[in-house]
Amino acid sequence: MKALRDTAEELVEVARTAGARDVVCEVIESAVQQVRFSNSEIDAVNSWSEKHANLFVAIGKRTLVSDLRDLDRGESLAKELVASATRAPEVKGYGGIGTGRFKYGSRKADQGIAKLRDAPRFVLDAISGATSAGANNVGGTMFIRHHRTAIASSGGALATDETSSMDLSVRAFSQPEASGHALCCASRLASMKARETGERAGELSMKARNPVQGDEGKLDIIAEPLLTGSLMHFTADMLSALIVEIGQSMYGKKLGKQVASKEITLVDDPLMDSISRRSFDHEGVPTRRNVLIKNGVLKSLMHNTSTGKRFKTNTTANAGPLVPTLFSVTAQPEAFHPVIEAGDWSVEEMISETKDGLYLNNTWYTRFQNYSTGDFSTIPRDAILRIKDGEIVGAVKNIRISDNMMNFWKSVDALSKNSEEVYWWDEASPPSTLPVLRARAMNITRSA
Amino acid sequence: MLEEEVALSTLKVAESMGKLLLAEVRLEERNSRQLAVKMGQVDSSSATQDTGMNVRIVLPTGIGFASANSISKADGKRLVEKAFRQAKNAKRRSAIALSAEPAVQTSWEVRERKPLADLSAEDKVDLIRRIDRAIMKTRIKVEGRYYELKDYEIGGYFANSEGAKIRSYLPRVTLDSHNLVKSKGDSAQCIRQWGASGGWEKVEEWGLEDAHVAEVRMLKKQLDQGRAVKPTTMDLVCGPEVAGIAAHESCGHPMEADRIIGREMSQAGRSFVSPDMLGKRIGSEYATVIDDPTVPGSYGYYPYDHEGVKARPRYLYKAGLINEFLHNRETASRLGTRSNGSSRAENYLREPIVRMANTFVAPGDFQDDEMIGSIKEGVLMHSFTEWNIDDKRYNQKYVSREAYFIKDGELGCPAKKVILEITTPGFWGAIDAVSKRIELTAAECGKGDPMQGMAVDTGGPMVRLRGVRLK
Repeated sequence: MKALRDTAEELVEVARTAGARDVVCEVIESAVQQVRFSNSEIDAVNSWSEKHANLFVAIGKRTLVSDLRDLDRGESLAKELVASATRAPEVKGYGGIGTGRFKYGSRKADQGIAKLRDAPRFVLDAISGATSAGANNVGGTMFIRHHRTAIASSGGALATDETSSMDLSVRAFSQPEASGHALCCASRLASMKARETGERAGELSMKARNPVQGDEGKLDIIAEPLLTGSLMHFTADMLSALIVEIGQSMYGKKLGKQVASKEITLVDDPLMDSISRRSFDHEGVPTRRNVLIKNGVLKSLMHNTSTGKRFKTNTTANAGPLVPTLFSVTAQPEAFHPVIEAGDWSVEEMISETKDGLYLNNTWYTRFQNYSTGDFSTIPRDAILRIKDGEIVGAVKNIRISDNMMNFWKSVDALSKNSEEVYWWDEASPPSTLPVLRARAMNITRSA
Repeated sequence: MLEEEVALSTLKVAESMGKLLLAEVRLEERNSRQLAVKMGQVDSSSATQDTGMNVRIVLPTGIGFASANSISKADGKRLVEKAFRQAKNAKRRSAIALSAEPAVQTSWEVRERKPLADLSAEDKVDLIRRIDRAIMKTRIKVEGRYYELKDYEIGGYFANSEGAKIRSYLPRVTLDSHNLVKSKGDSAQCIRQWGASGGWEKVEEWGLEDAHVAEVRMLKKQLDQGRAVKPTTMDLVCGPEVAGIAAHESCGHPMEADRIIGREMSQAGRSFVSPDMLGKRIGSEYATVIDDPTVPGSYGYYPYDHEGVKARPRYLYKAGLINEFLHNRETASRLGTRSNGSSRAENYLREPIVRMANTFVAPGDFQDDEMIGSIKEGVLMHSFTEWNIDDKRYNQKYVSREAYFIKDGELGCPAKKVILEITTPGFWGAIDAVSKRIELTAAECGKGDPMQGMAVDTGGPMVRLRGVRLK
């Protein structure tokens, strides 16, 4: 870690000496292994090893960022970047980087995960678990991640962080149109329950057997964390100050207003034990637990230093990646680990007290007609179970939730006492910790 | 310059490891620049040079893929060892096989009349500010006004253990545009993308100022004069953008062979199409959808795929019949056919998987005005905003961004937020006319795990659907 930190410090110094006023350098070394499986067999094992540095420089209001991929040429690339920054356009709204005498929390990464070389065995356990529960076709992915990061900045940031994690996603089919999806996120090797995850996916696939065409109308929905994690992807995005600025958020001018039911308290907590735990944001500011929505009232947006200044507040230590990333707005403040505080219901109670509803395992393809109003639709998938008079009476298919995201959060009237960490593909992302929730009278539609 | 010697040395190491079906090496260098402008002011700019390599080893027991962001013989050796071990450890019961394909040795490039790398940041900022000023001049209330302009050049060198050697150079440029028009207490969003393979001359062909002015004026008219559709069954004309998204979502994706055989089952999902459905009817005789990587200058252009297979147009739906799947070498072998060159990876860090390129509805013989002229009562859905489709690619939804009522063959007032929620055979089976003139729209298609964004075009002519339910 010392070598990474030295590199970060050196590159900051090179850039400053070359004339940059503000500099942030994040050096990242990662090793990621992935096992992909389908049809109950492993298809491919992929691995990625990377070492690179994201370097941000500012000369006055002229800013430029680069991903330095060849660290053997780090010094000359840093000098070139500063030279290019003199010709970069001015960013009028640039408000600097985080400054201060920072103190960082620390937590040790599980070296058992970092050193793991036998990922396929977990996958075979998961397949076996799903099959034993009744599934006949199992697919998914397993990731093993080990990241070592160092950050330094001209604002006083200097820190290192090491994380290791595993995440397993299992989708099991018992019939061509009957499936269940289950996840396991683990920051400790001992927490990886591959077989149990497979079993749960298999059990859900059995409950989803023989689905019938779903009906249109208003129905209560009981959503598993996996489904809510997908909706959280967009909700958290819209709580980013930059997304509010560009008009793609339903939270514009809503600070202090009721934006969810009183049941909902949403925090971003990068410090809790999770697979997305991190000690500092991408400006090097120590991360903290931020309450975004408290008992349904919008308390705060997420900020980096620049958006904080523009909104006449402070950074919330949510600076996102400084380099562009796929399907994101560049340099937007972002959530690291959204959490909805748990309630006091059992899932059984929720079902038994629902007269006319659906129990939903998962969803995908959430799209907005208008981000600023929150009008959206999403397509539930995997186990979609019909609830009538407090009991699950069968499975349905081919439905869509076509409603409004603000209305969804305002309609939540019950939260389970147990929460689960979820992270799946590009849908339930970033990793979040969520309870099962019930939302009343959601609009369900289907194809003609 | 990407060194052939490194690739060939890496392949030698692979061949020395033991018996293998295939070893592939890909070297890549990419220079990319990105500029974000918010409400006329630059919000961020970035520039990155990236070089790296990957090795893919195919054994009967599995596929191993390893990559690193550096290029050397030592890296190649290390990646081979890792990928070989991974392929071996996968321990598949059903052996992997690959279709036999010619080992192509060639080089190709997309030429730039105005090289992207020659453009200064000022030139780019100036372009976006001109768009912004043109919008402001309309005096329409437009919030957001956020643009991301990205351009890059990808140099590649591919070689495999069968003797293929392909050198390539591909420049691309793309603009994402986000606008939110407000009027009379209501709002309408517009998120659009332009993209091409080539130099800055492509950007100059887009007519971005006029396009944006027309768009915000149209959205204001939709907001001010639009009337809701009473849910009913009527005729619908879909504009090229709507035809294109339907071609992409409910034809291109379900015809990806990796999805059909289940390879994407836990992410992007499976397909309502099964291998035995080749030749089965999915739409009317007017429903022909082509995926063609070879359209010059298109955003999804490529002449050889990432397995070194020559690209060609693929007729996915042909005259209403399921005609041809999109294949890579693995899926082609599994289904007893040849690859049609559909394997692509976002960059050297990702495994190549089956992808679309430029997917569009084939042109027919109607003039655009004839499409509307024959409708007694209906709707023209010119463009869309919200859309989605289920993971078997059977139930889809499109909500209009621009739509108009049609009465006695004439366009009437704007129709507000028209919803088409329909099945795949419902959509393709209802087509009874297709116009002559095709338009393509650039898009970024997401698939794979980790997610890989892929440059594609979608499009088509106008298509007319008889008797569909609108909401």
